Amino acid sequence: MSHSVFEKLTVLVVDDSAYMRHLLMTLLQALGVPRVFLAVDGEEAWELLNTCRPDIVLTDAAMVPGDGFMFAKRLRSLRGHALGLVPIIMVSGHTDLASVERARDIGVTEFLSKPISARSLYERLIQVLDRPRQFVETPTYRGPDRRRRNAPFAGEDRRGGVALI
Amino acid sequence: MPERRTPSRLGGQDRNGDDTPPDVRFIRVPSIAERKLGREYVAPMRLDPRVLDQMQETIRGLETKYAEALKSQVSMLQILVEPACKGDTEARGRLYSLAHDMRGLAGTFGHPMVGRFADSLCGYLENCESEDWKDGTVIVFHVDAIRDAIENPKTDAAVTMETLDALERLIEASRRDRRKRG
Repeated sequence: MSHSVFEKLTVLVVDDSAYMRHLLMTLLQALGVPRVFLAVDGEEAWELLNTCRPDIVLTDAAMVPGDGFMFAKRLRSLRGHALGLVPIIMVSGHTDLASVERARDIGVTEFLSKPISARSLYERLIQVLDRPRQFVETPTYRGPDRRRRNAPFAGEDRRGGVALI
Repeated sequence: MPERRTPSRLGGQDRNGDDTPPDVRFIRVPSIAERKLGREYVAPMRLDPRVLDQMQETIRGLETKYAEALKSQVSMLQILVEPACKGDTEARGRLYSLAHDMRGLAGTFGHPMVGRFADSLCGYLENCESEDWKDGTVIVFHVDAIRDAIENPKTDAAVTMETLDALERLIEASRRDRRKRG
């Protein structure tokens, strides 16, 4: 009998809206996810982290006291720890360019704008489950490779010069 | 497994004008699907229409319950407007929180225009100053538009869009007034 990967997942949902938490949990359960942990803000999520050891984190952006950006940043700061590499999907109504860029620059894996649809959530989950981007660690950034496209650009190709040891 | 690569300036910043490139490390992240399923893993993972239907059915199942909640949220918005405009900071916080909830959820449950009006209201409130609260016109008109969108969901889309445009013009006029006030 073949299993769905969703049946083997643990997901942490962080959102200050009770309705949103309920919606995300119900959709994840419809996908077959057996373990969904809920937190109302980044602080509570941080406390839950070691208990639930999620495979994926779904987090809102604007929350009080601990917002999603701060939580994602703390998560990415866990160097040498598997949890530091966990895919983070930011689910937010703040879809302005500044928020999206801020999320990207602190190492958020995917950005999902509210209102969500079943399809958009499902697609983002497949993306992080099956098409992981390599992680990049520099003194100023730690997170998934931010370059998604192989578009030509003017200037020195610094990446092309990077060699494997 | 971490792979060690030669240093580069991949971090995107030439620090302190120093030519020494920052240390860069690449970590190849394994596919979670592959790791969890082992031999059962079949690449690539694709969207299963049956599962998608199930998820959409789940949303439909929650719609009635959400519609009821939405009505009580709008009633609460109407109650909160007056104290919020008179300076009650708790009422202001609750009003924003309700609008923020609607912005995020109404569209998912088949009330896209409620979501758009709530989004417009949130955008306004995020940059709102004390004088704007006291005036209250923009807030009241948004709450009325939200209530109307819920009570008359079959209103012609063109009319609803016109209302949204009018609200945006109102916000712009309010900003101009603020700039004049200095």
